[in-house]
Amino acid sequence: MTQLTLPHRPLRIAAATTLALAIATLIALVLWAIFAAATSAEGSASRIDIAHLLRMTSIQAGLTTILSLAVGMALAWALNRLRFPGRDLLVGLFASAIVTPGMVVAFGLLSIWGRNGWLNQASEALFGFPLGNPAFGLSGILFAHVILDGAFAARIMLARLDAIPANRLKTGQSLALNAWQRFSIIDWPALRGTLPGLAAIIFLLAFTSFPIVLLLGGGPANQTLEVAIFAAVRQDFDLAGAVRLALTQIAVCSLIILAASALTPVPTSFGASTVSRWRDSTITRGLQWLTLGLCTVGFILPLLSVLIDGLSTGIAPLLARSAFWWAALSSLVIGTASALLTLALALLLALGRGATGSGALRILLGIPAFAYLAVPAVVLSLGFFLLVRSLGASPATAAPYVVILGNSLLALPFAMATLGPPLEAIARTRGKLIRSLGLSGWRQFIAIEYPLLGKDIGVMLALAFCFSLGDLGVIALFGTQDFQTLPLMMFRALGAYRGNDAAAIAAILLLGTIVAFIGLPRLFERIANAAR
Amino acid sequence: MVKFTRLALAVLSGLIATPALAQEAPTLKVYTYDGFAAEWGPGPSLKAGFEAICGGCKVEFIAADSSIGTLRRVQLEGDTTEADLIVGLDTAIAGEARATGLFAEHNFYFDNLTLPTGWTDKAFVPFDYAHFAFVYDTDAVANPPKSFEELIAMPDDFKIVVQDPRSATPGLGLVLWIAAAYGDRAPEIWAGLKPHILTVTREWSESYNLFLEGEADMALSYTTSPAYHIVEEDDTTIKAALFEEGHLAQTEVAGVLKSSKHQELAFQFLDYLTSADAQKVIPTTNWMFPVIDLGADLNPAFAALPQPAKTLTLTDAEIEANSQAWIDEMLAAVQ
Repeated sequence: MTQLTLPHRPLRIAAATTLALAIATLIALVLWAIFAAATSAEGSASRIDIAHLLRMTSIQAGLTTILSLAVGMALAWALNRLRFPGRDLLVGLFASAIVTPGMVVAFGLLSIWGRNGWLNQASEALFGFPLGNPAFGLSGILFAHVILDGAFAARIMLARLDAIPANRLKTGQSLALNAWQRFSIIDWPALRGTLPGLAAIIFLLAFTSFPIVLLLGGGPANQTLEVAIFAAVRQDFDLAGAVRLALTQIAVCSLIILAASALTPVPTSFGASTVSRWRDSTITRGLQWLTLGLCTVGFILPLLSVLIDGLSTGIAPLLARSAFWWAALSSLVIGTASALLTLALALLLALGRGATGSGALRILLGIPAFAYLAVPAVVLSLGFFLLVRSLGASPATAAPYVVILGNSLLALPFAMATLGPPLEAIARTRGKLIRSLGLSGWRQFIAIEYPLLGKDIGVMLALAFCFSLGDLGVIALFGTQDFQTLPLMMFRALGAYRGNDAAAIAAILLLGTIVAFIGLPRLFERIANAAR
Repeated sequence: MVKFTRLALAVLSGLIATPALAQEAPTLKVYTYDGFAAEWGPGPSLKAGFEAICGGCKVEFIAADSSIGTLRRVQLEGDTTEADLIVGLDTAIAGEARATGLFAEHNFYFDNLTLPTGWTDKAFVPFDYAHFAFVYDTDAVANPPKSFEELIAMPDDFKIVVQDPRSATPGLGLVLWIAAAYGDRAPEIWAGLKPHILTVTREWSESYNLFLEGEADMALSYTTSPAYHIVEEDDTTIKAALFEEGHLAQTEVAGVLKSSKHQELAFQFLDYLTSADAQKVIPTTNWMFPVIDLGADLNPAFAALPQPAKTLTLTDAEIEANSQAWIDEMLAAVQ
């Protein structure tokens, strides 16, 4: 049925298909390169209880997904309704959680909720006894994951809610919808489209989580397949075993990806982001403030403590060092390049997906966007390393390009989740108009899609930029003495007792992230509106 | 035409001059771990020190994320590796490294080493060492345990942080330490430790920071860790708990690759690494003991560090034959 309403865009579909196949080929090449390098086919693998790992990981990832979506939705709802000074700053802070290196969030979390954290200290001072330590074990993992992923979910959902046209709200208000009716009639249809993609991303992130699970998990009982793969590569040097484990992980993750890709996002209407007010009852308003307050305590305090720790101690000596500025410059250049590359890749894929009515092709075009999340970072890094060498290049020369490409692919699922639903909604709701006007694909993009996407493009660029800014996975095998990014510098400092330097770098990374999240969406909304 | 000839000559002479220059100034490529190459690590001083005496050579550090990472990288690259030498493997993985057949033998005789154990290895040269130990803060822990058994007997809210033996060399060191001290009783010790283990981290740095943040009472680290706090922060409250059963030492080593095109120079670097000039750099940058007697040149904070009465040892053969099983025992016990 949609075939008739969609404009005919063979070029878009062809480009997206080519790109999807190229990404799939790249991942196949990565795995093949490791297999080829596996000198001993018979390793000491399968010492790992895979069934146990899968069970534990699935429970953890499932709980993370449900909690993150629920918390994210409540937070987006509160943020969408409430207007107050500093709202943009708060939104920026929430959004920055997803791209902050997991370790930074984990240590921030501990400084609030840990044994020696603010809450326990306050409780001891006030009541004379500590609250205990909920920050370790399964509860610790879930807490950290919900902070990282729930805030991301809230940011994406908030963008959808903010995009609800003002006239629809006016109609709703004139019909005297109560808070629940407004949610189910106006908000839910706008949010529904983003849920499958978001759920898939969050599940995959939690399923493949590594440093947080190891740090807060408590021990080998709470581990992920990713850890087993890391051990196979590092400890046993059993490359064939690592590929087998990686394939297991990819197989499980693919089920999630397939399920998410098969679901068609629900059409939503789009307009420029509105600031229209919705008059809620006092009780509802109180509930919104309560939600916001709780989320602020849970999400923002850990980040705030990172800022306070970092900016109060080691900042001055750090800024005086040229190595810091070189690392900052490397991070900036790599972040910008990979954000632009991500934009190009995500647009190609999302425009192609939006242009086709075929369900099978839509799934095909959805998979590569997520595939990168399913492939363990250590496997990717290793595979890239081997590929670069088999091409005869020196890892040091190739390092910046590989890091840019790797970071782009890492950000791609998030970029697709941001740009995909609005683009598909445009194709569906305005397809007939575009057909009747006889617009070319390029005119369609320039005149219709781009102006409507302005803010989303900004959000996506901010996401991709910050992902790259915080990345540690890809650079691990490629870093040299001279080529380092800020996260790498932070971890080198941590490994040399220099906790103050590390804290200062963490704070600067966080500041950069917040600035990017507040600045880029505004900038691009302005540019896109000017283009109209 | 004259111009063209001059240009051609300039280009030609440039082409000829370049390889000649490259031969005059060989670059020694050293694979090492992050912390060693970092600007506050020993790397920069050692580079400057060696370049000053090697007659116009260059030293380039290529840093992997961990010491085992450097070995894995060389294994992946095999004969085609551009590395001339690796600096920063340790004795727990030296046997495995030797078995790869990638390392060349040296002709050094060590009669001046101050290592707690002797040194006969023909493939690797030691450059620093320290004993594994649990560190504690005297402000928080008044009576630290004096053995693993005392640690096990502490109340359950006495927490330690350790590292995953599959990813961190100290984590592996603890597994070997307990195996060396307790043999067949090791699984029992691990089971006793389980309630005290707050968490098992991937890297040493994460454990150590949990400890510094006050999340745990003790962290697995080194007897030399207190020196950092004394020298850099003037803080004498961090101490290493000495255990009666004895401690295992981590000795960091360096080795030259057979495939190196600058073997002569690489061995010169190893020679330099064990010289007093280089050893003076190690303690206050890598926070480990030097392997030779520096006399008055050793920072007094190091000279005053309490040392374990007994050093436990394991042979390479024992480690290679059993480490996998010991790690499995540990994982099974703490799961």
